[in-house]
Amino acid sequence: MTMKISGILILFAALCAATPINAQSMFRGDAVHSGTYTGPAPRQFHRVKWKFPTGDRVISSPVFKDNVIYFGGDDGIVYAVDAATGHQIWKRATGGPVPASAAVADGTVYIGSYDGKFYAFKAQTGALKWKFATDGERRFEAKGLHGWQPKNQTIADPFDIFLSSPVVGNGAVYFGSGDGNVYALDSATGDLRWKFKTGDVVHASPALADGVLFVGSWDSYFYAIDAATGKEKWRFHGGEDQTIHNQVGFQSSPAVVNGMVYTGCRDSNLYALDAATGKEKWRFFNDLSWVITSPAVADGKVFFATSDSSLYHVVDANSGKPIVRQQGKAYMFSSPVVGSDVVFIGVLNGTLEARDPKTGDLLWDFKVETSKQNNGWVLTGDRKFNVPFLFHSNWREAPLVATDQEIRIGGIYSSPLVVNGVVYFGSADGFVYALE
Amino acid sequence: MIAAGARVRLIAVLIVAAVLPCRAEDAISGRWEGSARIPDDELTVIVDLAQQNGAWVGSIIIPGLGVKGTPLTDIKVQSPDVSFTVKSPLGIELNLRLLDAEKKLTGNFEQAGNHAPATLQKTGPPQVEYPPRSTPVATELEGEWKGDYEMLGYTRHVSIKFANHPDGATADFVVVGRKHNVLPVDLVTQEDDLVTVDSREMGFTFEGRLRDGKLTGAIRQAAMETPLVLMRAK
Repeated sequence: MTMKISGILILFAALCAATPINAQSMFRGDAVHSGTYTGPAPRQFHRVKWKFPTGDRVISSPVFKDNVIYFGGDDGIVYAVDAATGHQIWKRATGGPVPASAAVADGTVYIGSYDGKFYAFKAQTGALKWKFATDGERRFEAKGLHGWQPKNQTIADPFDIFLSSPVVGNGAVYFGSGDGNVYALDSATGDLRWKFKTGDVVHASPALADGVLFVGSWDSYFYAIDAATGKEKWRFHGGEDQTIHNQVGFQSSPAVVNGMVYTGCRDSNLYALDAATGKEKWRFFNDLSWVITSPAVADGKVFFATSDSSLYHVVDANSGKPIVRQQGKAYMFSSPVVGSDVVFIGVLNGTLEARDPKTGDLLWDFKVETSKQNNGWVLTGDRKFNVPFLFHSNWREAPLVATDQEIRIGGIYSSPLVVNGVVYFGSADGFVYALE
Repeated sequence: MIAAGARVRLIAVLIVAAVLPCRAEDAISGRWEGSARIPDDELTVIVDLAQQNGAWVGSIIIPGLGVKGTPLTDIKVQSPDVSFTVKSPLGIELNLRLLDAEKKLTGNFEQAGNHAPATLQKTGPPQVEYPPRSTPVATELEGEWKGDYEMLGYTRHVSIKFANHPDGATADFVVVGRKHNVLPVDLVTQEDDLVTVDSREMGFTFEGRLRDGKLTGAIRQAAMETPLVLMRAK
C-alpha cells in the first residue's frame, strides 16, 4: 500500500515537473517562449469584448492565469483585470514605467519596472511579497546612435522600448536588466541566487529549456547559461556596428524548440542556433531591417516579422528556407503568436492583424481609434509610417520627438495573448483590448 | 455694318479679354504665405511663384518639415486655379484657387495620401530659389573611377563614370554590395579640385579631391560616412 502511494506521488511529481506552469502565464506563453497557444482563436472578428483604460501606453504583453489578465502599464502600475469582463481586480504602483510582461506562478505575479526594482505580488490581492533592487535600469545608448547628431553625443535609444520579462522555473525567477546582468532570484523569497554579467543592456526576455537559460544582450552576444549555477555554457556572436550602433544587439527574445534556439537580432538576421552547442544552423538576412519580434515556432515553422521593411515571414524551422512572405504596412515589434488556425501580430501603425498560418493572408484586422485619427499625419494615406514627414531632421531631440509621435498613434508593441477564443493585447493608446 | 457705339464696346471687350489673363497671371506671381491645417497641427507654408521666359517656376519653404527653397514641379496655372508638386521625398502636392480680390489662395494640401485645407495670402513679389546645377568637370576626370569601402562588416565596390555635356557633367554612380545599386544622380559639381556626386533620392553622396591621379574623399550613405579612394579604372 505504502509502495503504491509512493509510486502515485512520484508519478504525480514527475507529471508536475514535465508540465509547463501554465501555457498562458508568462511572456510568449511558456518557459521556452514558443509563442503558440492551443484552444480556439478567432478567425473572424466579431466585436470588441471589452477595452480597459490605463494612464499611459501599454507596451507590456498580457498574461493569463485563473481567468485573470495581468500586465504592466507605462503609467508605472501593474494591473490584474477580470478576463471575462475587463473589470479591474487590483492595481499596484511601482516607481517607474512597466513595459515588461508578468510571469504568474505559485500564486505570485513577477514583473520588473523601470525604477530598477523587480517585484513579486500576490496574484489574488496584489499585495507585495518581496521586491529586489537591481543595479538600476537604463536604455541602450551610444554616441551618434542611428546617425543622429551630434555624432559625439550619447543618445538613449527610443526603440529600446521593452523591459525584460521574467521566466519562472526550478524555484527561481530569471530576468535581464538594463544594468547588463541576467538575474536568478529565489522565487519564494527574492533572494539572489546568482547574477551573470554581460557587456550591455539585457532587455530581451530569457527562455528556459532543459535547465539552460537562453538570452541575448545588446553587447552583440547571445548566451546560454546554466540555470542552476549561472555559469556560461556557450556564447554566440551576432553582428556589430561601430559606426552608428544601429545594426547590433539582441532585443528579440528567443524561442527554444526541439533542441534549436531561434532569435531575432538588430543585425538584421533571424538566427537558428544549436541549443546544446550554440553553433549556427542557419540565418535569415533581412537587408538591414531589424528583427525585434520574438519568433513563434509551430508545426516545423518559424514565424517572425521585421521593422523597417515591414515584412511578415514564415520559414522552415530546420533549414530557414522561406515559406511565406507578406508585405505589411508598418514596422512590427510585436511578436507573432500562433493560435489553433490563426496567427496574430501587432503592427506599430495601431493595427492588430489576424493572418492565415499557411498562406500568411490577412484574415481580418482591427485598428485602434488614435490610429484612425492619424493626428499629425504620422501615417500616410495607406497607413504606412510617414517617415520623410516625421524624420525630417536628425538633429537634437527631433528624431526622439518623431519616435514618440509614432508611438502615440497607438502602436501595438504588445505580443497578443489568445485564451478561449479571445485575443488580448495592449496598445500605446493606453488601452488593453479583448477582441472576439 | 457695326454701329460706332457697338464698335467701341467690342474693342473695349477685346482689350479687357486680352488683358485679363495677364492680370490673373500677375496676380498669381508672388510670395504666398499661410498654412496647412493638418489634424492636431498647423504647418507654415511659404510659396514663391514666378514666370520665366513664359514658363512658371517656383519654390517652397515649410519650416516645420526642413523644406527650404525646394523646387516646385508640374506647375499648372489656369486662372483662377493653380497646382504644383514639391520635388522631394515628402510627396507634397497643392491644388489652390485664387480668391478674395486676388490676394488669397485656398485649396488642398496633400502629402502621402493625406489631405488638409490650406490658405495662403500674398505678401510680396516672388523670391524663387533655383536648384544648384551640375557644372562641367575637368577633362582628366572624364571616364570611369573605381574603389572599395567597408561598412557594416562587408565590402562595397563603387564605380563612378563622369561625362561632360553642354549643360554640365553627368555621372553613372554604381555601388555593389549585397545588391547591385545603380544610383540616380541629381548633381555633379567640381569646384577647384573638389568633386561632388550626389544621389539625393538614394541618400548617397561622394565627395573627393583630385590629387596625384586619385579621387580621395568619402562616401556618405544616409548618416554613415566612410573614407573612399577612387582610382581610374583600367
